Amino acid sequence: MMNTWQSLKKSKELLQPFLIREKVIDSCRAYLKENNFHEVETPKLLPQPSTEPFLEVFETTLSFAEGDSHRAFLPSSPEFALKKLLVAGMGSCFEICKSFRNGEGRSSRHNPEFTILEWYHTPGDYTDVMNDVEGLFQSIHRAVFGGNDKLFTLPYQGKEYSLATPWERISVAEAFKKYADIDTDTLLSDKGLVKKAHEKGYAISSGTTWEQVYNQILFNEIEPYLGVHTPTFLYDYPVSQAALSKKKVSDPRFAERFEVFLAGFELGNAFSELTDWKEQEARCLADLEERKWLGKTQYGMDADFIEALKSGMPPSGGIAMGLDRIAALFANVPAIQDVLFFPIDELFPHT
Amino acid sequence: MATMKAGNLQKGIFILYKNEPYEVTKAEFYAPGKGSAICRTKLKSVKTGNTVEFTFKSNENVEELDVNAREMQFSYFDGDDVVFMDPRTFDLVTVPRSLLEDKAGYLISEQAMYLVFLDEKVIGVRFPQKVILKVIKAEEAVAGDTVNAPKKPVTVETGIEVHAPLFIKVGESIIIDTSTGEYLGRATG
Repeated sequence: MMNTWQSLKKSKELLQPFLIREKVIDSCRAYLKENNFHEVETPKLLPQPSTEPFLEVFETTLSFAEGDSHRAFLPSSPEFALKKLLVAGMGSCFEICKSFRNGEGRSSRHNPEFTILEWYHTPGDYTDVMNDVEGLFQSIHRAVFGGNDKLFTLPYQGKEYSLATPWERISVAEAFKKYADIDTDTLLSDKGLVKKAHEKGYAISSGTTWEQVYNQILFNEIEPYLGVHTPTFLYDYPVSQAALSKKKVSDPRFAERFEVFLAGFELGNAFSELTDWKEQEARCLADLEERKWLGKTQYGMDADFIEALKSGMPPSGGIAMGLDRIAALFANVPAIQDVLFFPIDELFPHT
Repeated sequence: MATMKAGNLQKGIFILYKNEPYEVTKAEFYAPGKGSAICRTKLKSVKTGNTVEFTFKSNENVEELDVNAREMQFSYFDGDDVVFMDPRTFDLVTVPRSLLEDKAGYLISEQAMYLVFLDEKVIGVRFPQKVILKVIKAEEAVAGDTVNAPKKPVTVETGIEVHAPLFIKVGESIIIDTSTGEYLGRATG
């Protein structure tokens, strides 16, 4: 097998997806700057990464000539650092950066080192971010396809999608009802959902959790219907899946979070950001406890982040998008590795 | 049967899914970050040949079917069936042509391949990754566009067409990839 640089040397045509990737990144940067977002940079070496329970991290040791050494981690996203800048008064801002996740499978959708586009719309909430995403994608479309297509047609792997607004918006509760015939009370009931999954024929054991069957039904019965014509915003997640999002004031059983899907890709995850430091501290501690239970790397909480929230974070909507996936879509290539010059399998072949 | 964790599913193994035998044709392990690990699969029904997609919890139990693969040789076509022979025992085994999918054109006499058995019934046919077939029809190369690695259709001894480079002539043997149908090279010697 040839490495990518060798294939590129042989056939210049193979460079095309990489040139589109460059255009995608240029237009993300241009669009956000035109809309008054500042571009910032945050550290890629941290004393504590963020606390997501299911993500495994990369750890190293930072040593100084003076003799002291420290545990150090590569970030799985720039989230905590960017929020400190919101507290500092930076205003709406974004970062395009490498992020790192360990322990994932080799797949066409993941690379352990990948590129995140993360931005915060402040003051704002998740609906502002939905509008930003729509505007951003149309702007990328104009850059890649020339700007004459009012339907914003996106050809991808033999199908055609449209980025014309409005995109489909469906809540998690509506989607479970529509595609899986599960009503909201059952969806939100620990035992009820597991029982329902059992009736549907899913494998259930004594250790099967609500979270496991919720995700399994989402993957099997709902996601195949999302993002099939236009992109889909799936929004308002059960509060146990809030991650770092705010509870809905009108219905505290749900949280103001959305994910955006297109053509089989989950492209981004967004929140009306949690600004309540007490709630944030409680969630971080619960996450760290769950990491222990899941056997993931242990570390402390970023106390400086909680300190920042205490001093007042403005109401903000934020999103992390997988830039490699967006580039793969616009380049019309099947895997994110097709828009990476040095995909992980070439650097670390499967043994 | 043996019980395994869905997180260890791999392409090529056979499992029981909804009480029916399926071949795993694709398996990708995901640790999605926002939830527990899963395994996304594509499964091909042994009975109908239809493909379904299913996402397993990586820690759920899956029954792996004990299949065994035996080396056999292609003998002849018999209507809608294909007859293979065990080269050691000379036993003949008849297999419906549909099990070969679109690969019947890679069968030549005494071609060695593996038949996959479940309870003494053939449920799959595994072709070698590459086969060598003789070209029986090829147009003379036309000069001209040589920039874009030009190809022309040639017909091989089994009757199928393959796109091969312009320099390939009648009587030559070429190597073909059985999973993609693509020309891989000239067979020498």
